[in-house]
Amino acid sequence: MKISLNWLKSYVPIQMDVDALADALTMAGLEVEALVDRYEYLKNVVVGRVIGITSHPNSDKLRCCVVDSGKAHVAVVCGAPNVQIDCLTALALPGTQLPDGPLIEAGVIRGAGSEGMLCSEGELGLGPDHSGIMILDASLMVGDSLATALSLSDWVLEIGLTPNRSDCLSLIGIAREVAAIQGNSLSYPVIKLPQGKGDIHQMTSVSILAPGHCPRYAARILTGAGVQPSPFWLQDRLISVGIRPVNNVVDITNFVMMETGQPLHAFDFDRLAGQRIVVRTAAAGESFITIDHKSRTLTADMLMICDGEKPVAVAGVMGGCNSEIEADTQSILIESACFEPAGIRKTAKYFGLNTDASHRFERGVDPEGAVFAVDRAAALMVDICGGILVEGLIDERPIIQKRQPLVFSADAANRLLGTQIDSADMDRMLESVGFTVEPMNPDQRKVTPPSFRVDVSRPVDLVEEIARISGYDRIPTTFPVISAGSTRSTPSQSPREQILRLMTGLGFSETITYSFVHPSSCNYLRLEPGDLRMRALGVLNPLSEDQAIMRTSLIPGMLETVHRNFSMQSRNLKLFEAGNVFISNGQDALPDEIEMLCGLWTGARQEVSWHMPDTACDFYDIKGVVESLLAALHIHHARFSRDTAQSCSYLKPGYASGIQCNGQVVGHIGQMHSETLEYFNIKQAIYVFELDIRKLFAAVPNFQQAAAIPRYPAVARDITLILPKALESGQIIEMVQAMRDPIVERILLFDVFEGGHLPSDKKSLSFRLIYRSAAGTLEDEAVNTHHRGISDKLIQHFDAKLP
Amino acid sequence: MGMSGSKCQPLRSISIQREPANGAKSHRLIHRISDPAFLTAEHKIVEQEIEQILHQAKSELQSVSQTAQIQALSVQYLGRKGLVTQYLRNISQLPPEQRPMAGKRANEIKMILEEALQKALLEIETRLATEDVGIDVSLPGRTVFQGTLHPITRITRQICEIFTAMGFDIAEGPEVELDHYNFESLNIPKNHPARDMQDTFYVSESIVLRTHTSPIQVRYMEKHAPPVKIIAPGKVYRCDSDITHTPMFHQVEGLVVGESISFGDLKGILTAFVHQMFDDQTSLRFRPSFFPFTEPSAEVDILCVMCRGKGCRVCKQTGWLEVLGSGMVHPAVFENVGYDTSRYSGFAFGMGIERIAMLKFGIDDIRKYYENDIRFLKQF
Repeated sequence: MKISLNWLKSYVPIQMDVDALADALTMAGLEVEALVDRYEYLKNVVVGRVIGITSHPNSDKLRCCVVDSGKAHVAVVCGAPNVQIDCLTALALPGTQLPDGPLIEAGVIRGAGSEGMLCSEGELGLGPDHSGIMILDASLMVGDSLATALSLSDWVLEIGLTPNRSDCLSLIGIAREVAAIQGNSLSYPVIKLPQGKGDIHQMTSVSILAPGHCPRYAARILTGAGVQPSPFWLQDRLISVGIRPVNNVVDITNFVMMETGQPLHAFDFDRLAGQRIVVRTAAAGESFITIDHKSRTLTADMLMICDGEKPVAVAGVMGGCNSEIEADTQSILIESACFEPAGIRKTAKYFGLNTDASHRFERGVDPEGAVFAVDRAAALMVDICGGILVEGLIDERPIIQKRQPLVFSADAANRLLGTQIDSADMDRMLESVGFTVEPMNPDQRKVTPPSFRVDVSRPVDLVEEIARISGYDRIPTTFPVISAGSTRSTPSQSPREQILRLMTGLGFSETITYSFVHPSSCNYLRLEPGDLRMRALGVLNPLSEDQAIMRTSLIPGMLETVHRNFSMQSRNLKLFEAGNVFISNGQDALPDEIEMLCGLWTGARQEVSWHMPDTACDFYDIKGVVESLLAALHIHHARFSRDTAQSCSYLKPGYASGIQCNGQVVGHIGQMHSETLEYFNIKQAIYVFELDIRKLFAAVPNFQQAAAIPRYPAVARDITLILPKALESGQIIEMVQAMRDPIVERILLFDVFEGGHLPSDKKSLSFRLIYRSAAGTLEDEAVNTHHRGISDKLIQHFDAKLP
Repeated sequence: MGMSGSKCQPLRSISIQREPANGAKSHRLIHRISDPAFLTAEHKIVEQEIEQILHQAKSELQSVSQTAQIQALSVQYLGRKGLVTQYLRNISQLPPEQRPMAGKRANEIKMILEEALQKALLEIETRLATEDVGIDVSLPGRTVFQGTLHPITRITRQICEIFTAMGFDIAEGPEVELDHYNFESLNIPKNHPARDMQDTFYVSESIVLRTHTSPIQVRYMEKHAPPVKIIAPGKVYRCDSDITHTPMFHQVEGLVVGESISFGDLKGILTAFVHQMFDDQTSLRFRPSFFPFTEPSAEVDILCVMCRGKGCRVCKQTGWLEVLGSGMVHPAVFENVGYDTSRYSGFAFGMGIERIAMLKFGIDDIRKYYENDIRFLKQF
């Protein structure tokens, strides 16, 4: 909310300079977000003297003037009738942005050069007069800035109010805080209502049919008023706080709202059917045109202000076209009501409206302030719009909520704050912001909040008042006394932390991508209809279609990242992300959140180096990463096989595998399918793996018992087998392991050969078996017997040939 | 570009015991001294023989220039079948009275030769060492490239470490959250203006993407009795996107509940945290604010880490940076989780990790975090 310092000063004398005031308000919980010099826009407007006037070559109405700006003689084309030689006037130099007007630039006006503009007070926003240029007092100094010469000075404070402080959505509310800070008192505006004529109760009535939504409705009526533009001082006040003047009637309602925080509405009384007001909820489907000329369809729970026949305003939100103040309006009904906050908020949200009125009603207005505001507005209208006040006041009040006192304990407050504030000081603090304090005993007192503090409902709210008034900086800094217990998990041991450590150690850089993706991502992953990852959770109000569903896989985000980096010429990438994917259980249930790890490698195998020729990474590079990761987690005997590559529709067939630990598929690995890559316009081969972190860590063995170091030497024997090309080498190793030969310590594959003299459908695999016995040194002959036995079984089982 | 293998071998490793094929000379000698008749009759000649071996070895050493030649000489004279060794082995066949003298002399000669060979070897090594230019040690080594952690992860980790060192547990919760946990149980009812403080992504009427990490507090308190001392890091979501907002970002939430926990304690813990996260000179400013789930509530500003309070672009000339929201847990929140408000009090705080990372790393655009440009990521 914007407030003007000059306006504020009409309610409270201000002893501080504006910076100190801003600081004090901030520290009292009213954060001053910006402090703006209101006349900043006048910085290039100076007092100028017209020293020459000649006729304009191409215009009868315009004249060419030479103006002394104090620094130079400036040529200015001027159309004002009152320009005279030697007069002092306001000269706007290039760079000046006129309020509601053009930016002044040096230019040519109908063929004549002009390096500035002579301004009227209207054009400068300093007065109502647009009829001619400002004629300034001859005693002013030429060249002085206009603001200095006219002693124009005001500051606009932009206050970021928290939603609880509805009492500060007004000048008086802020002034009350300032007075409390300074320890002085507030002067409320004095209302002098003139003697009225007639009787309002004879002319109209207000019936509240929905008292739960409208606890109070006050109104006054004025007849014979004249609708005109407001006087300058009123317009100026409104402009200073960012409200555009409309006409005197509307401006007065806005002025009083800004002053008191009570939103008002003025109806054209003559246009109210039946000359009365009915407050009721709308009929569902009823349509209504608001003053912004939009037709709105109402719902049954919306509160409407109606006349004898129809709705005339959306209560607390916006008035209607059918009753708004127009140029010929003469009779005015001023509404000053209280509405139930949640209902107003619901209606305003429904229509996407946030008006000054709804903003205040949503947060709660002072139920005791309604009459003061309507009286203030009526008095101003009589003054400014003319007309005659109708005697009497409507004040329908179906529900009167009396504030109950809160029982407040000074000791409890000191305990919660960690302070030792004297209870008498606390009383003074509370009283300074309008609370009534009634001591019960040295510790306890009954505290009644003022009616405008609708936010205060518990004793702890009073503690906050004490804290903020005494100042948070005066609360001593201490440390909690809390029993020492061991922490349940140290972060460095969490699976996530281990993953982060290992993946960076393996040379991968961590990415974090958005959790939401484009709905088509399931399609371009080529997922089958039954795939779990098709169960995406939608976001009702995404910022864009790109972010409309929660991701079910980390792959789309990774590919997006690859695409972006490729477009930046970064083509060698080793990236990973650890984060949740979301599998929907329906829009009305929480989804399963599954923490996944995704690794991606594309481009070069290593940085350009003199040690090795440049080579591109391949499947076995990314597989090596997964194997290293598994080894570091002590997961041995993970199984990779084409058989487990189902549901890897986004991977290239024949170049993909499941990652199986203890019989459970914990993830997938492979080369990205070219069709998926096409969606990202990626041509380069991409290798990825995705692991379910929870499943992965379920495979981590619990205890690692140290094994004895072998005491006897190992013996190695090699075997080379000619096998069908399609046979997976893993099968040979699995078979050897399945034989459970007690002296076979290890089997490893050390050579793969294809081509040469081999038939095209064959390959040769060379394995090394390491034999060792824990009981003693193995004899050659014994090893040979075992090796022959194993070899024979392999040859027989796989129909292998020896080379 | 590669280096020849031999240069790499340490010179000292040369074995002086290895056996090459026997030369003709040694055969001849073995033959002669193994003849008993020859030995008994011509022991003088035998004496001359050993002196001759010495002489011959010395003269051959003169012309040696390479370590391999030394090695060969060593084998030829001192090896298992070397001339001196053979001679020594055959001494037993000399007449008994000659044996001590001959043996003594032969052993002397063996030592002389060993010394001479060693000396010659050293000389060659010294010479080679001065001639060898060595390797280009400035050539890059075979590096193992280290990956990098995302800056958000680095800061989250740092924050968590500071708090776990102060005895906090780490808690987590779901990112897609019930409206109940995200709002209602935190004293933010439906149709309350406080909901405007957080622009919410909705999944349905009752399910939201969590707008803050605060629901973790409630979930944790439902399962654990006081005392409580947790921090809860995680992703949060708000429908807002510009140079200072991304629709997804990260927060760390903190909660301490116990008997007689005070606002002063809140100040103490946060001051300790800020001093460790930044430094001891970074002062804090607590100012009143409003969060529905705390009362009293405080915004925590820190002295601008860029300008030290002088006023700069980062702190918008105020000298202060808003980094934390905090407050004493609202009694309504305790009531919602069944904590006894007459016995327990507590405080909660929360901070945006992106903001802290921006300050720590001087990052000016929050969107950089989620573009994942490798040139950005590799800096961390």
